[in-house]
Amino acid sequence: MSSEDDSSQPTSKSKKPKYSRFTQQELPSCKPILTPGLVIGILICFAIVFVPIGLITFTATENVVEIVDRYDEDCIPLKSPDNPENERVGYIRDAGTNKTCIRTLIIPKKMKPPIYVYYQLDNFYQNHRRYVKSRSDHQLRYPSHASETKTCEPEATTNDNQPIVPCGLIAWSLFNDTYRFSRNNTSLEINKKDIAWHSERTRKFSSQVYPKNFQSGNLIGGAKLDETKPLSEQEDFIVWMRTAALPTFRKLYGRIETDLEAYDQITVIIQNNYNTYSFSGKKKLVISTASWIGGKNDYLGKMYMAVGGTSLLLAIIFTFLYLFKPRPLGDPTYLSWNRNRAAVRES
Amino acid sequence: MKRYVYINDDSLAQDLYCDNRISNRKYTIWNFLPKNLWEQFSRFMNQYFLLIACLQLWSLITPVNPASTWGPLIFIFAVSATKEAWDDYNRYLSDKKANEKEVWIVRQGIRKLIQAQDIHVGNIVWLRENDEVPCDLVLLGTADPQGICYVETAALDGETDLKTRLIPSACMGIDVELLHKIKGVIECPTPDKDIRRFDANMRLFPPFLDNDVCPLTIKNTLLQSCYLRNTEWACGVAVYTGNETKLGMSRGVPEPKLTAVDAMIDKLTGAIFVFQIVVVIVLGIAGNVWKDTEARKLWYVRYPTEGPWYELLIIPLRFELLCSIMIPISIKVSLDLVKGLYAKFIDWDDQMVDVETGTRSHAANTAISEDLGQVEYILTDKTGTLTENKMIFKRCCISGRFYGNENGDALTDAQLLNAVSSGSTDVIQFLKIMAICNTVIPVRSKSGDISYKAQSQDEEALVRAAARLHMAFVNKNGNVLDISFNASLVRYEVLDILEFTSDRKRMSVVVKDCQSGKIFLLSKGADEAILPHAYAGQQIRTFAEAVEQYAQLGLRTLCLAWRELDHDEYQEWASMFKEANSTLVDREWRVAEVCQRLEHDFEILGVAAIEDRLQDGVPETIETLRKAGINFWMLTGDKQNTAIQIALSCNFVSPEPKGQLLMINGKTEDEVCRSLERVLLTMRITNSEPKDVAFVVDGWALEIALKHYRKAFTELAVLSRTAICCRVTPSQKAQLVELLKSCEYRTLAIGDGGNDVRMIQQADIGVGISGREGLQAARAADYSIGKFRFLKRLILVHGRYSYNRTAFLSQYSFYKSLLICFIQIFFSFISGVSGTSLFNSVSLMAYNVFYTSVPVLVSVLDKDLSERTVMQHPQILFYCQAGRLLNPSTFAGWFGRSLFHAIVVFVISIHSYAFEKSEMEEVSMVALSGCIWLQAFVVALETNSFTILQHIAIWGNLVAFYVINWIVSALPSSGMYTIMFRLCKQPSYWITMILIVAAGMGPVLALKYFRYTYRSSKINILQQAERLGGPILSLGNIEPQSRSLEKDLSPLSISQPKGRNSVYEPLLSDSPNATRRSFGPGAPFDFFQPQSRLASSYTRNCKDN
Repeated sequence: MSSEDDSSQPTSKSKKPKYSRFTQQELPSCKPILTPGLVIGILICFAIVFVPIGLITFTATENVVEIVDRYDEDCIPLKSPDNPENERVGYIRDAGTNKTCIRTLIIPKKMKPPIYVYYQLDNFYQNHRRYVKSRSDHQLRYPSHASETKTCEPEATTNDNQPIVPCGLIAWSLFNDTYRFSRNNTSLEINKKDIAWHSERTRKFSSQVYPKNFQSGNLIGGAKLDETKPLSEQEDFIVWMRTAALPTFRKLYGRIETDLEAYDQITVIIQNNYNTYSFSGKKKLVISTASWIGGKNDYLGKMYMAVGGTSLLLAIIFTFLYLFKPRPLGDPTYLSWNRNRAAVRES
Repeated sequence: MKRYVYINDDSLAQDLYCDNRISNRKYTIWNFLPKNLWEQFSRFMNQYFLLIACLQLWSLITPVNPASTWGPLIFIFAVSATKEAWDDYNRYLSDKKANEKEVWIVRQGIRKLIQAQDIHVGNIVWLRENDEVPCDLVLLGTADPQGICYVETAALDGETDLKTRLIPSACMGIDVELLHKIKGVIECPTPDKDIRRFDANMRLFPPFLDNDVCPLTIKNTLLQSCYLRNTEWACGVAVYTGNETKLGMSRGVPEPKLTAVDAMIDKLTGAIFVFQIVVVIVLGIAGNVWKDTEARKLWYVRYPTEGPWYELLIIPLRFELLCSIMIPISIKVSLDLVKGLYAKFIDWDDQMVDVETGTRSHAANTAISEDLGQVEYILTDKTGTLTENKMIFKRCCISGRFYGNENGDALTDAQLLNAVSSGSTDVIQFLKIMAICNTVIPVRSKSGDISYKAQSQDEEALVRAAARLHMAFVNKNGNVLDISFNASLVRYEVLDILEFTSDRKRMSVVVKDCQSGKIFLLSKGADEAILPHAYAGQQIRTFAEAVEQYAQLGLRTLCLAWRELDHDEYQEWASMFKEANSTLVDREWRVAEVCQRLEHDFEILGVAAIEDRLQDGVPETIETLRKAGINFWMLTGDKQNTAIQIALSCNFVSPEPKGQLLMINGKTEDEVCRSLERVLLTMRITNSEPKDVAFVVDGWALEIALKHYRKAFTELAVLSRTAICCRVTPSQKAQLVELLKSCEYRTLAIGDGGNDVRMIQQADIGVGISGREGLQAARAADYSIGKFRFLKRLILVHGRYSYNRTAFLSQYSFYKSLLICFIQIFFSFISGVSGTSLFNSVSLMAYNVFYTSVPVLVSVLDKDLSERTVMQHPQILFYCQAGRLLNPSTFAGWFGRSLFHAIVVFVISIHSYAFEKSEMEEVSMVALSGCIWLQAFVVALETNSFTILQHIAIWGNLVAFYVINWIVSALPSSGMYTIMFRLCKQPSYWITMILIVAAGMGPVLALKYFRYTYRSSKINILQQAERLGGPILSLGNIEPQSRSLEKDLSPLSISQPKGRNSVYEPLLSDSPNATRRSFGPGAPFDFFQPQSRLASSYTRNCKDN
């Protein structure tokens, strides 16, 4: 290129790209610098915004009424230290025994609907890799894809190679404890409709797909499914299929749609079927109201207050530093090459 | 090996040599894919990613969809393959154009039009005026009765003047018809790339008589890519064709240069790779242990009791795949992209346009802009680089009388004009030599003005000056020259030209006065090549003094001498000369020897002094760059005095008493050794003093020093900030570059002529000045600029910004990859160390390729300091030179930041989305959006100057993240169907995001503010000063004046800073040569020991970070 430029001036002039601020790297720009005012201001703003939000959030979660009842230890006749684990597992696996268990809960404060009933599992790894991958979304969604069970190992097909619908470990280990609530000897209605997401019922789980060959093998995992109802109507199953990210999780069991007064006595009849004994998991029954921020989880509120407080503290520290140990910004004497020269000259 | 070319013989030698098909292509259609893939896979990074991608095909271990690696991998491969293909296609097109060009050749005695690619060795090719020469030809005939033609060789060596080419003596006088039937044989060497040499012989077969062997030189050739000018037609026989031509042979693929930044990035990548392996091993073991102790109890996981033999490997391999994103796959593509843009910025820069010629700066090598900011040594040529290479005849001394001393211009000196008009013999003879003793071609334009085309600027200056003094060289017709002196025409016939070589350092012509028939030898040359050959008895002292005096003034000197020859003497010598010219072996040496026999007993006429003016802005540029801590070495072929004078006038060295020049000279080993020791000793002593010490060495001493005292010389090189090497050869220049490179200094070589090419190619960065000595240097260089003064801007603005930007971009790339990888690792602790991926494949792929790489690309527009500030405080370049912005310790900072941010994102996500909200896809999206928010604010915090593009990229990217995820969430088939809509409706999601940003950025902001204010680096101080506006007090404006270093001391600098206490870190207090001092007197010679070199680079990089 330069050779042509060399030979003839006029052509090179015309070839010049038009001057633009981008090509000359001269786009107008603003250069914010971290002045004490700006930084202390930002920190104070943090404090002003975060502490109130934290307080609001905190009170919101404090107003949530929550009853948590761990029942797995109490609902088994064989107590933990005395009886070896395999006996307890044997008990829970035995289909013949009566596993009914009655718990009584006292409502501490008035609860207004919607009141959510959850079951909580602790130390249950729904996020384990082998587990979380063992499902076939196509099979659940399209009736024609029933045989797509490749990803479902080791719970893909029956012994005579019939595809299991729904296949996979997640479906196979479906939670099967049941709760029946009564208050003052009158039974309390639990609404189990719409506990699964609407989008799941309409799009992810087909109304054409019916369970087939499910829990028919030697090894029974969890609950069985009603083979006459399509998957889209089996909401407990749909809820279970939404795997949890943490080893401690709650899943919605149903909703109580009447007010619960303070000191009401709630009797729960639990069918304690689900095996958490072999891996020292816990089962808890949770009855809770909800606030705009969710359940009784004060983490956000506390963190907001902590962040706000820390910002305030930092702002104060920086202000003190600024007042008592000022350091002028952009003082050229701090440029050591100037100082070196000065030193050289003096010496 | 020799090559025998049978002229015009279709049957012979056809298949022996290749045809004239030029191919610069790397690939063909068929081998493109395999060859390109092979090339790409020879890079370690690509092999690694391919391995990962292949492992991902194994569904048992892959945590995510293989597409998350294959996608980016294929994309990256496609990008580089497309670029290669495009380049190759363009090469193919230009080849095709050259190959299909139609040329006339002779077949069976008839002229035929064929395509250039079908020319074979031995074919006779006919060219018309302004035709391009299709292959290397030996000239056989021209339209000119004298057998002369003119060629323009600009494409070959960049020299724009016309060169004369001569038909061999054997072909003289053969008419056009016969030329079609000519037969013969040319014995020539095997193809080589030396465009200045062609030692061959030709013998014509009968009936073209002359069974004599006729010598051929480069003067008898027409080389490929030259143009035939001012000649109606010419024909020649093809001797080298296709890729075997001189041009084709010299077309090598230059070795790719690796910048220091690239090397550092590779090193960091290696470190990350090791870290990753450690993580994989630890997690792999933990995973297997957990599996055997805990997971077997999880009945719902149903681990088989007996696994396959590779069972133990499965979990480590899963983690390997999970952690593979630690090494950012996009970094090479991003870097290539921004480097291309840096190069474009150089090309576009309007402030680096040479207004005189309209030459723009050009970055031929787009990959090494960062190195510009890390230059430590600049090795510069003198003539044409520091000076304008515009020769003007200024003074002369004719037989003891000085002209031009009073007014500085001999052309207007009344005494000289009087002497000319009064017809003083010596003066007339002097002017005659000025006018005749050269290879200049006068070209008369239509308007009658005469312009001169010369190969040497000196000759042109002399001819012009002679013309001004009424001794005009008006016409050259073959060997006959017409000189008009005072309106009378004098005619001379040139009998022989004894050419200039750098060994002989003189050139002579033998001319015959056409009127008197007398034969003269006219010579001009360097003083040491002429003065010793004066006839016995001539006083040469005045000439020697004149030479000395002119050299002191920085003028180039030429001694002019002459002698009258006897006819017999000449005849005898002429046959010897002819014989020497036809030798094949050592021709140059033999010719020189024969020339020597004639060039003696000169009558010295006088000394001509030619001025070569300094280019504009050279002293300021050198001064600024010196302040930036760059050391200058001047390497010149000129003589010592001239070099020192130029050095003084351009601030290269300071005058006494501040500056001190130490000479290393001597002709023998002992002398050189002693002088070297002495200089070394002085240098060590004075090093602590604020003195400008420079050493001066000449080519002869340098050769001895490099051969026998390499260690001592290396130490000297390391100690000295300035050096002047005079009378050095091109290969010595390259050796010096090599020497400095071996000390791990980053060198920049700048030059303008063919003699600088080797040095330019050898150096880390080669800069060529597209000047008057042609474009050879500019072509070989990585950067070409129009004027020396642009070097300042090239280094301080472009180099510095490039370094800063790349430093940020590369470290940021690691930061964002580590961030997401750490989250995956943390998640594995709560998922039973089983290798579950928290993020889905789409998110992972988009995170690396899109969400995080787009905003950071805009950092190519970031400017930490304005150009003006940098120019005023060139010292700030030290941060780049010492690699302060990209080194293991800054990287550790980014590593820590990514760890901290990963903890923030992870802990907050799993706590605020716990219990009934702990749904996998939701937690995953919360964590991912947390990362995106944080990275937007990190880029914003690290951006120094926001232009509109930065805002668009940073905040637009954040918006784009949501838009893309909304779109994906709207697809029922995707795993995250409706997830993003659900999240965006929850107040807790937004509250979590704000919390993540505040908790993640708060501490970073506070820390940055603290360092910025109380531990500020020099860059910070200048930023603050710039922001506060007003004059930036310190050095004042150095642009216009300040030639001496004394002026730099601003009055302000005397005042001591108040807060000089522990808070202050003397970042720059030790100047860049502190490194050098670290192996000063104590350990003089251990420079080549590896540990000390390591130590030196360590101190350089880690100097109080």
